[in-house]
Parts: sequence; C-alpha cells; structure tokens
Amino acid sequence: MADKILEVEDLSVEFATYGGTVKAVRGVSFDVNRGETLAIVGESGCGKSVTVQAIMGIIPMPPGKITGGTAKLNGENILGLPPKEANRFRGVEIGMIFQDPMTSLNPTMTIGDQISETLMVHRGMSYTDASRRAVELLDKTKIAEAAKRAKQYPFEFSGGMLQRAMIAQSLACNPSVLMADEPTTALDVTIQAQILELMAELQRTENMSIILITHDLAVVARMADQVAVMYAGQIVESGSVDDIFYRSSHPYTLGLKEAMPTNKRDGKKTLTPILGSPPDLFHPPTGCGYFARCPYAMAVCEHHQPEEHHLTDSDAEHQARCWLQHEGAPHIKALNQPGADQRD
Amino acid sequence: MLAYTLKRLLAGMITVWFIATATFMAMHMVPGDPLMNDKAVSAEIRKNLEVKYGLDKPVVEQYFIFMGNMLQGDFGISFTQQNRRVNDIIRDHFPVSATLGLLAIFFAATGGVIWGALTAIYRNRLPDIIIMFLVILGISVPSFVFAALGQLMLVNINSLLGFSLIPVAGWGTFSHMLMPSMVLGLGTMALLTRLMRSSMLEIVNEDYIKTAKAKGLSPMRIFFKHQLRNAILPVITILGPSIAAITTGGFVVELVFAIPGLGRYFVQAVQQLDYTVIMGTTVFFGAFLVLMVILVDIIYGFVDPRVRLQ
Amino acid sequence: MSDNVTPSFTPDYTPASHGQSVEQLSRPSLSYWQDAWIRLKQNTRAIISLYIVVSLALFTLAGPLLWQVDPALQDLNQISQAPSLPKRALLADPYERWQPIILDDFPSEPETYVDVDMMPAPTGVQPLGEPTTQQIRLRWEPVVGAGGYSIYRNQHAPEGLNDLGLPLATTLGGNEISYEDRLNLEQRDYYYSIVPTDGFDEADVYTTIKVLPTIAITRDEATQRGLIDADTDIQIGDSLSLRFHPFGTDYLGRDMLARLMQGARVSLFIGICAPFLFVMFGILYGGFAGYFGGQLDSLLMRFADFVVALPFLLFMILFKIAFGIGPGESGVLPMLIALVVLGWPGTARLVRGQVLQIRNNGYIDAARLLGAKDSYLIVRHILPNTMGVILVTLTFAVPGAIFTEAFLSFIGMGVAPPTPSWGSMCNEGVKTMLSHPHELIFPATFISITVLAFNLLGDGLTEALDSRMRSR
Repeated sequence: MADKILEVEDLSVEFATYGGTVKAVRGVSFDVNRGETLAIVGESGCGKSVTVQAIMGIIPMPPGKITGGTAKLNGENILGLPPKEANRFRGVEIGMIFQDPMTSLNPTMTIGDQISETLMVHRGMSYTDASRRAVELLDKTKIAEAAKRAKQYPFEFSGGMLQRAMIAQSLACNPSVLMADEPTTALDVTIQAQILELMAELQRTENMSIILITHDLAVVARMADQVAVMYAGQIVESGSVDDIFYRSSHPYTLGLKEAMPTNKRDGKKTLTPILGSPPDLFHPPTGCGYFARCPYAMAVCEHHQPEEHHLTDSDAEHQARCWLQHEGAPHIKALNQPGADQRD
Repeated sequence: MLAYTLKRLLAGMITVWFIATATFMAMHMVPGDPLMNDKAVSAEIRKNLEVKYGLDKPVVEQYFIFMGNMLQGDFGISFTQQNRRVNDIIRDHFPVSATLGLLAIFFAATGGVIWGALTAIYRNRLPDIIIMFLVILGISVPSFVFAALGQLMLVNINSLLGFSLIPVAGWGTFSHMLMPSMVLGLGTMALLTRLMRSSMLEIVNEDYIKTAKAKGLSPMRIFFKHQLRNAILPVITILGPSIAAITTGGFVVELVFAIPGLGRYFVQAVQQLDYTVIMGTTVFFGAFLVLMVILVDIIYGFVDPRVRLQ
Repeated sequence: MSDNVTPSFTPDYTPASHGQSVEQLSRPSLSYWQDAWIRLKQNTRAIISLYIVVSLALFTLAGPLLWQVDPALQDLNQISQAPSLPKRALLADPYERWQPIILDDFPSEPETYVDVDMMPAPTGVQPLGEPTTQQIRLRWEPVVGAGGYSIYRNQHAPEGLNDLGLPLATTLGGNEISYEDRLNLEQRDYYYSIVPTDGFDEADVYTTIKVLPTIAITRDEATQRGLIDADTDIQIGDSLSLRFHPFGTDYLGRDMLARLMQGARVSLFIGICAPFLFVMFGILYGGFAGYFGGQLDSLLMRFADFVVALPFLLFMILFKIAFGIGPGESGVLPMLIALVVLGWPGTARLVRGQVLQIRNNGYIDAARLLGAKDSYLIVRHILPNTMGVILVTLTFAVPGAIFTEAFLSFIGMGVAPPTPSWGSMCNEGVKTMLSHPHELIFPATFISITVLAFNLLGDGLTEALDSRMRSR
C-alpha cells in the first residue's frame, strides 16, 4: 500500500448563480500518494479546477458552497476550514500554480517581493533573509540572473519565466503537495516541455506529490503516475496511467483518446471529435452524465446513475463509472470490459 | 522617467499655447469695444487708452504682443481697476482658490478611497447600500445646492449653540475653509467612491488574489497589500480631470460662501467685461490645470511600475 | 470479473436511441438588442428611471397645455407664497387713516413712579377689528405706571425676552394702548408681544398674542388684476378666490409651477439637444479618424486633446461673452453652441477607440475579402457595434449638460432673465433660501431627479449592453 498524503472523499461543490444552482462537483473521491503525480483530466467546465480550489479553500464563498465530503492531508481534514486555520497548510503544505501566469502575479509588486512575502508570513523570516531565499528559489527554477530578475515586475517577464517564478513561489516553504491547475495551457509548446521537465525534476529532488490538472492527454502520458478522468462533475474513470491509456474502461476516456493527435506516422489515424456538449449542470441528469454523447448508450444509462466498478485487471486500483462494466452488459470491442480480451 | 517628464512638459507648453490662442480668439470675437463700458470718455482719453492697451494696432500684431507678454509672464493691466496689474490680482486671489481646491481634492480622494473600499468589503450588505445611496445623491445634486445646504446647516448649528462655532461665510482661518472645501469635494467624492468600488470588485476576481489566498496570506494582508494598492490606480488616473472640475467648480462655492478667490474675481471681470483680467485668468487657470494633469500622471508613474519603466 | 454491487433492478441493456440530436440548444437565440432589452427590463432602477424620464417629457411638453398660466405674470397678492391650496381673499375698502386709541382717563406720564422691574405684563391684548393683510390693529389694557409700550412682531412663538422678533414701535404714553401694523403683511401667523416701558426702559415682562390675518384686496386691485369684473356683484366683506398656485410663487409673485414647466423646456432642451449634437459630431469626427487612421488620425486626435485641455467652464463663459447676448435674447442658443464646441472630444475619442478595435477584428477582414465596400462595412458592421457605447455616452452626457447649464445660470453666466431655467430659478431661490425655501427646493429637486434618472438609466444601459454580461 502506497503512502497516501491526500485523501479526498465524496467532495461536492455548488455555485449559486443568477440562473440557479450549478452542481459543479458531484461526489469526487481520489487519493494522492507521496512523491507521485495524480493527473486530473477532463474538458473545460467539468469541475476539475473547482475540485482543487475547493480543497485549497479558495473558491469564492458565496456564490460557491462546499456541500459535502472530506479532504484529509496527512490524516487531518482540511476541507472548509476558516481562513486562519487554512493558512497553516496553504502555501506551507500545499503549493499551487495557476493556468495563466500573466494574470496570476500581482502586477505592482516585484517578483522577489511576492516570493519573499510567503516566507515572511509562514517562516517569520526577515525581509533581507526572505529576499535572499527568493533569489535562491528563482535560481532553482532555472531563471537566469535571478538576483536581477527578483527586482523586476511581472510585466517584464515572459510567460514561461512567469510560470517558473510561480513555481518558485509555490515551492518557497517546501510543500509536500503541489497543485498545478493547467500549468502549461497558456504557454507555447516548447516552453510547455521545459516547464513540465522542471516540475518533474523538482518533484524528484523535493520528494513532492503533484496534482496536475490538464485537458491534454499528452501531458498526462508524460507526467502522471495515477490518472482521474472527470466528466460533468464526477470522476468517470481512475487508475494508473497504463490502466487509463491501455485498458480504457469508460467510453468517455475512449473518446478523449480518439480526439488526441499523435505523432505516429502511419497516416491512418483520423481524429474523432466527441459530438455534443456536456450536460447542463443546473439540472444534472439523473442517469449517466455522458448518456447524450455516448456512442454505446443503453436504455439503462438514461435514468440510472452507474455505480463505481472496480476492475481487477491490474495491481493498481482501476475504477470506472459505466453500466458497460456491469456483467451482462453487451461487449464493446474497443473497451476494456470484464470478460473481454485483455489486450491493448 | 526624466525623458517622459520632459516630453510631457513640452506637450503641456504647446497645450498652454493653444489655450492662450483660443482665449485670444474668443475675446476678439466679442462684439463691441472693450472701452465701451467707460462712460463718457473723451476722444482724447479714448485714444490714449487705446494706445495704452495696444488696441489701435491690427489684430495680428495684438496677438503677437499678447503672446510675447504671456511668455514673459505678464498678463497686463486691468481695464476696470486702473493701475492694478492682472498678475497682482492672480497673486492675491489664486492662493485662496488653490487652497480651497486642494483641500477639496484631499477630502474627495481620501473619502472616495475609504468609502469605496468599505462598499466593496460590505458588498450588497447594509453599509454598501447606504453609502451607494448617498453616492447617487452626491452625483445627482448640483454643487450649489450642497453649498446652500451647508451654509444653512452652519447657520442652524451656530444659532443652536448661541455663538459662531464655524463661520458661515468669509475666509481666513481653517474653520472658514472646512465647510466650503467639503461641499466642493462632495460630488467628486461620490464619483471616486463609485470608481473605487467597481475597481475593488473587479480586483477581487483577479487571478493574483487567488494566488495570494493560495499562498496562505491573511485576508487583512491580501486586502491591504494586494487589493487596495491595485484598486487605487484607476482612481489616481482620474484625479487630474477631477482637479480641473473642482477648481472651476469652486466658483459657485466662492460665490455662496463669499470667499475672495480667483473664481469670484473671474465672474466679476466677466460681468464688467474686464478684458485683460478675463484673458489672464483663463490662460492662468488653463496652465495650472495642464500642470496638474501632468503632475498626476507623473505621480501615477511612481505608483504603477508598468508606466514608470516603459 | 468485476466486483461491483448488483443493482436491485434488472438493467435494460438495449442500445438507447437518442431522442433528439446531440447538438441541442438550451436557449432561444436573441439579437443583441433583444437581449439587452430583456436585461434592462429586469433592472428595476433603470425602468423606474425610464418612467421618470417619460414623465419629465410629459411635464415639459404636455404640462403647459394643462396648466395654462403665464409664467411671467406677477401675482402681487401672493409674493413668495409657499405651496398651498387655493386661497380666498376678503374684499375690503381702500385703506383709511386710523386714529390710535388714547385713553383720556389714564395718565400719559406715570403719576407715581413704578420701577420697571415691578411692572406687570399688559392684559387684554386683542385684535381690533378683522385682521387682514391690509392692516392688523391691536389693543390692550393700560398698565399702571407705564409710560409707553413697545410692540414686537415675530414669526414664531417667542421663547424669551431676546426672541421677541422685529421691534415695530414704541408708543409714547401710558395711555396709548393700541397699534396698527401695516408692515409687509402676509397670510401667516404673527406673534405680537407687548412690553410696557417707563418711558425710557422696557420692563422684563411681555404678553404675546397670535394673529392670523386674512388676505384683503380692494375692489380696484381685484378689478385691475382680473380677479373680478367691474360690474361683478360683490360686496365689501365678501370673499373672492385668488389665483391658485399649487407650487407657490417666487419673489416676484410668479407662478412656480408654470415657471418650472417653462424652465424644464429650457433646461431639458439644452440638456438633451447639446449632448445629441456633440455626440453626433463626436461620432463623425472619431469615426473618421479611427476608420482612416494613420497620419490624419493622429493629427485629428491631437486637436481633440487640445480641446479637452481647455478649462471647460471658463470657456463656456468666454464663449457666452464672445457670442454676445443682445437685449431680449434668452442666451439659450449661445450656450448650446458653446456646449457642442467644447463637448465633442470625449465622444470622438471613445468612438475612435471603438472603431480602431472593431476594424482589427477578423470579421471585418473577412467581409473585406468578400468584397465589401467601406460604406457597407461602416453601416453594417462598425456602426451597429459602436451603437451600445454611443447610447451609454449619450445617456451620461445628458446629466452633464444639465449640470453645466444649471451651474452657469446659477452664477449668472447662463440663461438671461427673465427666461427661466432650473439653474436660474435656483439662483433666484438661493437668495431667499432662509425665508422661502420652496423657491430653491423645487428647481433644485427637478435638477436632481432628472440627473438621477439619467444616471441610473445610463448605469442600467451599461449593464444591459455589456457583452460580458450577456447570456446571464
């Protein structure tokens, strides 16, 4: 049994809006192992960002509201703590970086000051000590001329540099978990690779766990140990990276894979988009959220929520929420199912 | 920064030249004769006066003389108050207007920032609703009504106390300045409060506030170090135009509270068609406002690194 | 094998037929303006403001048809009258000289010295005859030892010796026990206080009486002011009705309601026409600069910057002098022109910015590639997309113009009397603010409500037209 650092159980989040209540996250559970990377994958609006922001306690409340669940960091529930309590772990035990580094740093404060601020608040360091440490951190994230750069403002940095600075900031207090909310989405491809490499390297040296949120399966394949696929506020499939890629057990995972471009040169692969759009979460469907778009939809799917099915096809825990995993369901060739040939 | 300042000053000088030219042109469109007001001047005196004020020369030449004198900072001699130089009038009365205006701007800016921040903190709750109601009142009620009400209030306070705690009118001590400058700043304060509120509410949703929360900073620290400073920026940018609005808006307050400011002098000069005083005051006010706008922009540069370093 | 729980029902594994197409629209499609209108309608404050604006328009345009009173007519019987119900007046004889009552059986000079501190307050103070606005006559019982009486008048009940009000007169004999007041009488409560004197000093006692005079009018006056005809059968002592002034009258006895209506015409004419004209000019100027861009653009905008730098109110006044107001002119037109000349750069800058932004959008390039001409692009793409911003600017420009008019008229640099505007009415009203506050309150309230309505409407429009707020 791996060493679990973060255990999230049955997390539910709602937002009160003009149009009614949006059930953005509907009973999400996952674990993060020490020193490993969990990737949460899904399309825009599926609730992946809300999930991690709810754990951090940074969703605006109101309109947001955590309606249930627990998140245990080293065994202690940290969900829904008041700000003062929450600040014991925010920035200390859990660091966080965001999608758009351009807007995620205060435009009127120098980079160095923003990093040292964390150290001064949590570690009680003096301004001089904190500033020196900030330069070291920038250096560690491979920013050239760190001392000079620390005195500059965000607008003087490029996107990739800013994301490095963000990483330096989040690592200031040596957190055991780093939450990365689409850290490479706003960057161009070459920079993406550098940032991912940096994250992987720091993970090794600092023995850190990473929760990586992304919609890019290529990033998942490169970085993740464990994967959770989210759809319409629920985790529809979770397992090791091999389980997800080679033994996909949910039609949505299959759809994502078919929509992903690869660099295989056989020329035969055509990209297949997933038709339609996700369900209206103002009125979540009673049955499977993927029903309307699923090419294998069955009558039962429309009104009955599928259970979580534990697959025993590998050592790791592999789960999928799909009626097709139920015994007696028709056999689909592309899908990893009970009784089917276990091949890639 | 220095190059930027010099560039702004140069552009400002060209603007002042434009203001002076426009003033000259406007005044020379006036029908009739500036000397018409002097009753029964003999032809000889009239001739002498025309020579004295240079009115016997062609307009183009008058323009160059006017501009030449302006460059030397000489606004000429008053038409109605013989032997009083316009420079002296400005020197005597402008400090009063400037004190009033700066005090009013101070009230407006501090009030606007504090109230605006409060409304944002208490968004959609009672304090917000009350302040925003007052703000709407402040924007919709003309300044002279505030001036009249302010005076009425002082009259009532004084008569209630039985002695004159705060003077109802006049100028001199700080207590004279209190009510007029507050009345003068009220409208601008309301505008700034609104601006500050929307600016604060916009910044609450910025990504870097989320970052600050994720860093584990206390709400107080986030408010003061991250929110407030960034929210004040747009307020500073409209401070320049606000100074213009307040200094010229001061005319009414000077009139109602019987304050010997330049505005009152200007109104009087217009009624008496005192050409040199009108032209001198207009150009002077224009130059002052241009300078203020430049000053505010430079201050803004110090607060916002994005401007300073580009 | 899977280890999951078997459901309590038998699942139906037949393939489902998707009822509708996968692509389904959850909301009906709305045009930009439909969408904006729906959101504006949800904004209660904006809708109330819209009603206020409509009522103001009715007040200004239809009001004078319903309330046909000449705003210039002076009603000398009712000067600075507060708002009230219709009033009646007593037909009275012309004033006749009146002899004060001097008692024969009472000494004029005190026979025995009585210290002023010991003197009692006069008793039996009462009005003599019917008190009217023509005259109020009082009499009282003599005080033993008095060498005269001082008569004071106040408009509220006196609170002490220092609060007796206006000293009217001092009679010069202890036996002169009446007084006739004819000083600026209006129909309101008066408090008369009688203080005995020893001929030199006043006593510390007084007696106060409240008197409410009725309005009196002579036959000649009534005929002259058209209240009755010469041959109307009406007797002295009969009452006749005076002109009705629901909002009261000003310091010249002119009807406030009629003046407010005429003033509304001036204020709203300037307040709406000027913004409309300078916004129009600003659109043309800014649109031209933005669309053609380049050297021309920077030249045009530099000029606009200069105009912005002019001290606005000072130049409004300068232009007013420059245009000159001849005798009998109202000064409305010079103000309108001055507002347009000085007001346009704001709109021009805004429209230019919008046009520059829209011009760089992909769909403009697309349209151009399809062979669209400049005129088509402007009419079909650029104008409709700037309309929202322009509408908001226009709405916010109205209160600005109304304020400017009021401000200038207030300092006497605006509309020339006798033409009323709300601002000039405030100017007149502020002088009598302490005694007759309604003369300031009414025009000031009208200005405030109008400005408030346009501001709230502008806020509502901004929200309704803001594309970020769409589909909420």
